[in-house]
Amino acid sequence: MATNQEPGMKMYVGIWIGLIVIMLVEVFLTYQHMAPRSLIACLLPLAFIEAGIGIAYFMHMKYENPHLLWSLVPITIFVLFMLDHIWPDAFRLASMSMH
Amino acid sequence: MVNPSEGIMDAGHGAFMEASPYGIESKKLAMWLFIASDTVTFAALLFAYSYLRIGSLNWTPPFKFLPSILNGMVMTVVLLTSSLTMLAGVMAAKAGNQKSCLRWMGFTMLLGIVFAALHLREWFGMIHEGWRFFQNPLGGSVEVGTGFFCVTGLHLMHVISGVVALAVVALGYRSRWLTSGHVETVSLYWHFVDIVWMFVFPIVYLMNAQ
Repeated sequence: MATNQEPGMKMYVGIWIGLIVIMLVEVFLTYQHMAPRSLIACLLPLAFIEAGIGIAYFMHMKYENPHLLWSLVPITIFVLFMLDHIWPDAFRLASMSMH
Repeated sequence: MVNPSEGIMDAGHGAFMEASPYGIESKKLAMWLFIASDTVTFAALLFAYSYLRIGSLNWTPPFKFLPSILNGMVMTVVLLTSSLTMLAGVMAAKAGNQKSCLRWMGFTMLLGIVFAALHLREWFGMIHEGWRFFQNPLGGSVEVGTGFFCVTGLHLMHVISGVVALAVVALGYRSRWLTSGHVETVSLYWHFVDIVWMFVFPIVYLMNAQ
């Protein structure tokens, strides 16, 4: 019941190759001797790009009714933000030493 | 005397059904809601792990390129390939090609089992080196092992559950009591497990490379 024309296998293979290339870039960055905070700041955006591509194409979110996307994604991001920054457990992080 | 509810009863459940505002089957919507809630579970664990990793003063990265990081790369390729075979299975199911769908689902399950075997090999290798849930053979923070076994254990449990779910749906689809919609719904779960690994690999493996 997708709203738009879904892609064929050729496009899926292209996306699969793209995801493997991103993984190789992540491994390359790992061995550039960065500080842990800098490294995670590089790796996380790449992981989010991979996840976005996976949700859009592999899980067909791009081809579903946009109401589904707008009902699920913002509320999930809101909960994750609250979990990490606002709710009581998040405040324990303030007392942790960073190096 | 005629029972006024009889007409409605005869019409079955269909009389009360409304069109989905999202234009998808209810089982698929239920799977999306489950995925959203499971995302929060994994995120909580990965947030905690990331803060421990960056915040601990005596964190001892356990992974050498050979064999651990390379093993993790192979596991990533295996899981990504399983998503591709699952997509082929869904396309075959939608086209009404049952035989092809079952074959692709079989490949997906096989790749899932390969992933689990590689993961268990990694676990046993670490256990052999002396890593435990509360034990660090390198002398640093014990949270290295705790975090690793918690995060990867939860993910491994999802992979094994996914293989079982795929097997159940494949059997149901073969005997025609499940439809292509069920195949598509279980595929969402499988892709979700793949996407979670896109975070587990960099956070748990690459952030801990020696």
